[in-house]
Amino acid sequence: MSLVHRLIVIALLALLLSGCMQRPTPPTPTLYAQLGGEAGVAAIVEDFTYRLAGDDEVVVFFANSNIDRFVASLEEQICHLSDGPCVYSGPPMDRAHQHMGITDAHFNALVEHMQQTLIDQGVPPGPRNRLLGRLARLHADIMSLQ
Amino acid sequence: MTHPSRLTSPLFIPLSMGKIGLWKAMGKIGLWMALWIGLLLWATIAASPAWAGSRLLGTGGVTQIEGAAGGGLSPWGVLAGTASEGEWAITASRSEARLDDYRLTASGVALNWQDRLEVSFARQRLGLDTLGGELQQDIHGLKLRLLGDVLYHPWGVWSLGVQHKRLDDGSLARAVGAESTQGNDIYLSGSKLLFDAVAGRNLLVNLTLRSTRANQGGLLGFGGDRESSRSLVAEGSVGLFLTPNWVVGVEYRQKPDNLDFAREDDWQDLYSAYFFNKHVSLTGAWLDLGSIAGLDQQRGGYLSLQVAF
Repeated sequence: MSLVHRLIVIALLALLLSGCMQRPTPPTPTLYAQLGGEAGVAAIVEDFTYRLAGDDEVVVFFANSNIDRFVASLEEQICHLSDGPCVYSGPPMDRAHQHMGITDAHFNALVEHMQQTLIDQGVPPGPRNRLLGRLARLHADIMSLQ
Repeated sequence: MTHPSRLTSPLFIPLSMGKIGLWKAMGKIGLWMALWIGLLLWATIAASPAWAGSRLLGTGGVTQIEGAAGGGLSPWGVLAGTASEGEWAITASRSEARLDDYRLTASGVALNWQDRLEVSFARQRLGLDTLGGELQQDIHGLKLRLLGDVLYHPWGVWSLGVQHKRLDDGSLARAVGAESTQGNDIYLSGSKLLFDAVAGRNLLVNLTLRSTRANQGGLLGFGGDRESSRSLVAEGSVGLFLTPNWVVGVEYRQKPDNLDFAREDDWQDLYSAYFFNKHVSLTGAWLDLGSIAGLDQQRGGYLSLQVAF
C-alpha cells in the first residue's frame, strides 16, 4: 500500500469517525426536563396545591391530610411519571383514594386545575398535554375503590 | 302537526303572545335575535363557573345538525354540555348552512343527565331556493353513554343513540319515491382524545356506525324505490385541538342511496369550533354535500352557535 493510499484510508477513517462524533443523536429531553426538572415540578405542585386549597368542592378531601407529605408525594409521583430520576414510593393510587367518595366531577375538577396550572406555569403544549395524558391514565386506579 | 309552524319561533316559544303589538312588530327574526343576545349576555357575563359542568372545555363537542352532541354532520360518543356524575347540562343551538341551491337551518336543545343520558330535540328547515318551497323535519334524539370517558378511558367513550325523525309534510318525499315520511336512525358512536398526538396537540377521533333508511338525512323521506331496507353507514371525524379552546378538523358521513330519481352522495366538511368558555361556542365549516335532489355539487358555508349551562 503506497503512502498515498495509506493517507487516503486514514483520511477516510478520520472523516468517518468525525462524522460519527459530530452527529450523535441528540438526546431527547425527558418530559421531566421539559417540565423544568426539580424546580419546575416543585413550582407546578405548589401552584396546583394552592388551587386545590381554594376550591371548596375539592379541599374537603384534604381535611385530614398532611399537606407537606402530600406535596412531597405528588412531586415524587410527577417526577416518576415524567421519566425523572425518582421512583414513586407512596401508596398505590387505588388504596390512597379508597372510599373517599370521589366522583368523576371531582376528578374533572383536579384535571382542570392541573391544566390551568401547567398553562400558567408556562409549560408548552407538548409537555403539558403529555403530562395530562399520563395523569389521565390514573383515573381507573383512583376510581376503582370508590 | 297542523299548527302553523311558521308562527313558531325556532326555540319553540309559541308566538301566540305575538298578538301583542310590540312583539309582532319585532317579528320572528327580531324576537329570535333578542332571545339569543339575551342568552349570550347571560352566558358570558352573569353565569358563574358553578353553573357549568365539571367536564373539560370542548369535551361535549358542539351540536350536530340532528340535535345530538357531535360535530356538524355526525354525532360523537360524548354527551352534550359539560355535565358529569351528579350534574346536569342543557344546551341550545342554532345552525345554518347555505349551499348553492339550498339553505338548511337547524335549531336544537339537548339535556344531559349525569353524563349518562342525552335527550335532544331538533327542528330542521330546508329551504329549496332553486326548486321552490320548504321542507321541515323534527328529530327526537336519545343517546345513552354505554362506557368510558373521552379523556380517561383507554377505549374512549362509547354511546348508543336513536334519532326519531318525522317530516312535517311528506308530499315531496313521496313524490320523489320515498316509502315513508318518518324513520328511526340507530347509531353507535365512539370518541377518544389522544393526548400529545400531533405537534404536541391533542387529537379528537370519532367514529359512528349508523343504521338508517333516511334519504338526505330524512328530509327526502325514508326508504325508496331503489332500496327500501336499512343501510349500515359509517361516519368519522378527526379534530386537532390547536389550543384548549379551539379545535379544527374534518368530518365524513357516508349515506345510503335509496331513491331512483336522483343520486345521493356522502357528506363531508372542514370545521373549526371555538369554545369561548363552557357556555358559548361558535362553529364554522365548509361543507361539501354532493348531489341533493338532482342538483349537483352542493357546497357552502356553515355556522353554528351553541349556548350551554
